[in-house]
Amino acid sequence: MAERYTSFEPGGTRWLWQRLTAAFLVIVLAFHFFLLHFVNHADEVTFAMSQARMQELTYFSLMILFLVTATFHGVNGVYNALVNQGLSGSRKTAVKAILGIASLVLIVQGVRTAIAWAGGVPI
Amino acid sequence: MSQSYNRGLIEDFGRWREFSAGMWAWIFHKFTGWVLVGYLFTHIAVLSTALSGAAPYTNTIQALESLLVVRILEVGLLAVAVFHILNGLRLLFVDLGVGLEAQDKSFYASLILTGVIVVASVPTFLAGVSI
Amino acid sequence: MSTQVPEQVEDESSAESVSPGKQKRDAKKRERAERLQEQREAEAAEKARTADDTYHLKVFRYDPEVEGKQEPRFDDFYVPYKQGMTVLDALMWARDHYDSSLTFRHSCRQAICGSDALFVNGSQRLGCKTQLSDLSEPVRVEPLPHADVVKDLVVDMEHFYDQMEAVEPYFQTNSLPAEDEEQRQTRENREKVKMSTRCIWCSACMSSCNIAAGDNEYLGPAAINKAYRFAMDEREGEDMKQRRLEILEQEHGVWRCQTQFSCTEVCPKDIPLTEHIQELKREAIKNNLKFW
Repeated sequence: MAERYTSFEPGGTRWLWQRLTAAFLVIVLAFHFFLLHFVNHADEVTFAMSQARMQELTYFSLMILFLVTATFHGVNGVYNALVNQGLSGSRKTAVKAILGIASLVLIVQGVRTAIAWAGGVPI
Repeated sequence: MSQSYNRGLIEDFGRWREFSAGMWAWIFHKFTGWVLVGYLFTHIAVLSTALSGAAPYTNTIQALESLLVVRILEVGLLAVAVFHILNGLRLLFVDLGVGLEAQDKSFYASLILTGVIVVASVPTFLAGVSI
Repeated sequence: MSTQVPEQVEDESSAESVSPGKQKRDAKKRERAERLQEQREAEAAEKARTADDTYHLKVFRYDPEVEGKQEPRFDDFYVPYKQGMTVLDALMWARDHYDSSLTFRHSCRQAICGSDALFVNGSQRLGCKTQLSDLSEPVRVEPLPHADVVKDLVVDMEHFYDQMEAVEPYFQTNSLPAEDEEQRQTRENREKVKMSTRCIWCSACMSSCNIAAGDNEYLGPAAINKAYRFAMDEREGEDMKQRRLEILEQEHGVWRCQTQFSCTEVCPKDIPLTEHIQELKREAIKNNLKFW
């Protein structure tokens, strides 16, 4: 500990972003649950209804942002949990890479699905 | 020092009966976090059936939602999400340095509130399911 | 009751010069004396066990250098209670009356030296600051968790001291006062660092911290609090504060704190450790935002 002095260590940046995304997600996740379980009911889900929502630019962009922030918050949380357990060295690098790829795959797949619903980016 | 003795895991989770509020809050937050991130991946996987067209998507979702197990799991998911949200708010306040003296009470409050919200949502979550 | 390894003190050298008859009688006598002694000890132990005014202690025992103690175990001690008796008092009584090999660190007996942090009934406490009357029986006394046990209740503190050293736990400044002036601190600033100065390096917080247990590089609550004490001291000046924040904002510095509040709860000096760590996180963030 304390042999390496750098003026900017990403530990702090990730900590801050974890909090910023948290504040955003608290609101959007609550909204998401409310809209898709209380306003619309689970047994009435159809492709057409999702399509109608996704064709709204506001809803579409909110969902994309939701996907990206949730992925960051979740994957970063997993990474933190592992570092807290003493993950270090090359295993840490490997975990970082795997988590990075998984996040990327998730986001790409999510965006593709959203575009499929909206039938292209709804601009 | 010639030798020393490492007492291993018994010092950590073997002591769960002695954990305090803050520790429980952390354990629940971590646990719910793992569940939510796991769900996020499966959620996107299920939703991406929409890539193969309208009918496969509608059929998949309706088949899943007609199962009682899925509905019960959804109630569990709601519980997990609500706790993570409420305790997350608690943690944001802790990060801002607000109300640190009441951190144990705010944890109990978020537990109780989670319980209330989940119980109140059960009818909505189980509506229209065939047993 | 005694846990010492039985001593083999047999006086055999003088046996040759006496008659066989006397030898026999002596042996009988010795046997009787031993039986009596055993009986007396058992009675005393039984009396102590059933008496109202004794406390039952279960004490962790381990000694790698003694054959019979290499496998850790708990020993029972029944200690006569006196009003105001602390866990440390009871341990000392047990050591003085039952087993002189019972080992624990202690010095000042008034919560200043920080030597006798122990794991008592499931939480980290100072032996000298914990009243027996506040505890339920049996009182379980163990060495601090998350540290290697050297012997009985003594743990290896080396790692803890290393982490303390890593934050440079001493006053440093570039702005010295004029020749005949004192290095004055404002009352407000003194008040700000007041609680953080109380640390006695007992390691109770470090031992209670789940993250410090998993991540060996984590500075831990005591070291971060020590850094807080100096980073918040205005007399050290801006340059020094910058240097201190650079140490703290490394990946295994303040960011590892998960606000479990375990440290704050066990601190025998009531230092608001979590609050200090959180304030340093915000300081570090603010400090970095300035560069953008």
